[in-house]
Amino acid sequence: MSIKNIPLKLTAKSLRSDQTVRWCPGCGDYAILSQVQRVMPKLGLPKEDFVVISGIGCSSRFPYYMDTYGIHSIHGRAPTLATGLAISNPDLSVWVITGDGDALSIGGNHFIHTIRRNIDLNIILFNNRVYGLTKGQYSPTSRQGHRSKSSPMGSIEQPINPIALALAANATFIARTLDSHTKHMGGVFEEAAKHKGTSLVEVYQKCIIFNANEWGDLQDSHKRDDHIIYLEDGQPMVFGKNMDKGIRMNAQYELEVVELGDEFTEADLLVHNVKSKALALMLSSMEWPNFPAALGVIHSREAQTYTEGLELQIADAQARKGVGNLQSLYADADTWEI
Amino acid sequence: MSKKLIKGNVALAEAAVRAGCQAYFGYPITPQTELLEHMAIRMPELGRTFLQAESEVAAINMVYGAASSGVRAMTSSSGPGISLMQEGLSYIVGSEVPVVIIDVMRGGPGLGNIQPAQSDYNQLTKTAGHGDYNPIVLAPSTIQEGVDMVTLSFDLADKYRTLVFVAIDGAIGQMMEPAEMPPMQELHPRPEWAITGQGERNEKNIITSIYLGADNLGDFNDKLQAKLRAIEESEVRYEAETVDDAELIVVAFGTSGRVAKSAVHHLRKAGKKVGLLRPITLWPFPSKKLAALADGGTKKFLVVEMNMGQMLHDVRYAVGRDIDVQFFGRAGGSIPMPEEIQEKAMAMLEVN
Ligand code: SF4
Repeated sequence: MSIKNIPLKLTAKSLRSDQTVRWCPGCGDYAILSQVQRVMPKLGLPKEDFVVISGIGCSSRFPYYMDTYGIHSIHGRAPTLATGLAISNPDLSVWVITGDGDALSIGGNHFIHTIRRNIDLNIILFNNRVYGLTKGQYSPTSRQGHRSKSSPMGSIEQPINPIALALAANATFIARTLDSHTKHMGGVFEEAAKHKGTSLVEVYQKCIIFNANEWGDLQDSHKRDDHIIYLEDGQPMVFGKNMDKGIRMNAQYELEVVELGDEFTEADLLVHNVKSKALALMLSSMEWPNFPAALGVIHSREAQTYTEGLELQIADAQARKGVGNLQSLYADADTWEI
Repeated sequence: MSKKLIKGNVALAEAAVRAGCQAYFGYPITPQTELLEHMAIRMPELGRTFLQAESEVAAINMVYGAASSGVRAMTSSSGPGISLMQEGLSYIVGSEVPVVIIDVMRGGPGLGNIQPAQSDYNQLTKTAGHGDYNPIVLAPSTIQEGVDMVTLSFDLADKYRTLVFVAIDGAIGQMMEPAEMPPMQELHPRPEWAITGQGERNEKNIITSIYLGADNLGDFNDKLQAKLRAIEESEVRYEAETVDDAELIVVAFGTSGRVAKSAVHHLRKAGKKVGLLRPITLWPFPSKKLAALADGGTKKFLVVEMNMGQMLHDVRYAVGRDIDVQFFGRAGGSIPMPEEIQEKAMAMLEVN
């Protein structure tokens, strides 16, 4: 490639690889891909600073479609590869692309430990509540009773709530968005990328082939606003097409949906506070369709990243012992002959 | 009972059901998933256990637990999943619990691809976990043989209290062929050693693979080796065709064994003195038979595999260094063609 062909300014287009994108027609993954490609150029980094790491699953084809560095790794293990990479080269912008099976089933262990270490990376979790790549078995986020090829009479198991799980691991940034709501998705990705530490974005994603109706009216742009609460820090939790409904906490410390009017006014509603872990946990328990889906930044707080902690320890050790020198180490009294 | 056209993965799953498998634990992986899906339908309707685990690591340890209770238990997977199970495999053999695993092999290393391959030969016969042991490995080449081998695998696992693999490749798993299913077996009573609650017994049954102290572990390993030698003595299985006067013998298993068979038939028709040795047990390996054939006058062996030459080493070891052993193989997901095998065999025959 001649120098002339290298785009000076990063654009969404320049992040597209030469591979034909191969997901099923109508799959939610296309929209997620194009939003990631839109957001990356806004981060002010050169292309070579981006790395996209995936595991196994439909979503994990992602790195092939990005004209960035990437690794298509092992089922469930992407967060561990990303950990190694992010710690070894803190200048990189590391993106883990994963699905509900990859992150929460086989990779559940790595998922929580990456989050609790607060490694500086972004996890985009495509949650379609089914195994797509192996053609339609139930996943760890499938609803109880979900019928699939491996649960012909309905799944017996309770689903995992990825956001509650991330909170248990002391996540410092958690957001949720929806594949068909591209504008919202782009905004959330940008917030996630700016956060220092591990950011988790759960994307409600449509698997049109094996779980097409999972998100029901959320996927209908005319109806969705009655079923979504767009979270804004410091704002009361009002929602609905006509902004006439809200979320309040009742006397049993449970969330409930109320109609705004004579009985309840905005003053009765919860006010979003991204720093509150307790509130985040309650919001995470709001399961559509009984509640509106809570989209936006659910939880965000500043905390030391793993790399920052590591650098502090290195600085501390150097302050006490001086900067290491290989020669003096060899000649040190701590060596012995055998 | 009549023959029925049936998909390989489904046939092997149904054979396991009929052999009295009472507990199945597995994780979806191509090209094995239909096996799991068939179990998802059949096990609950028979009042037996089906559980989709969160990973292959979980699945094998669930199998370990279920088998310890004395029921016939199994899992199924493919190369990457079997790699993950290694830890459990070693503990299962170390605690002498009977377990059956069906491996529908695909291409490796790493993620490789989902095309048929025989990339797990070494992993299954030699490196299935740490310690000194080999699992029994059965390698059918047709769906009917697969059905029969699954039935046998449970009997061998119980008889020797050991780990038994039935290894097919994606081609056998995915294709359809007429096969006759065995009748439904009665469920087997739980054996004496199993974890069933102490009840009237004087001794507790404890399932463990820890043998503290050099003597204890040494004694256990001696006992284990004696068992493995007994398996080698009694359980070698193979198919031999037109080997007695053969100048050249093609050695191949599973799908490549099947292709090799048509190549050998062709060459025989053309008047070439060619035979086929198709190992059905990959471990114990038919080394003695191969050695006898080499001693009996066959000086050329052609090993055909859908990998880069894994069984090849066992054949070389069996026949010795004076014998011309050559290899034809493919790794990457394509099945060797009979013509290619014929060509390679002809080239070997032409050299004196
Ligand atoms: S199977 Fe489902 S998730 Fe996978 S590409 Fe197709 S629609 Fe998308």
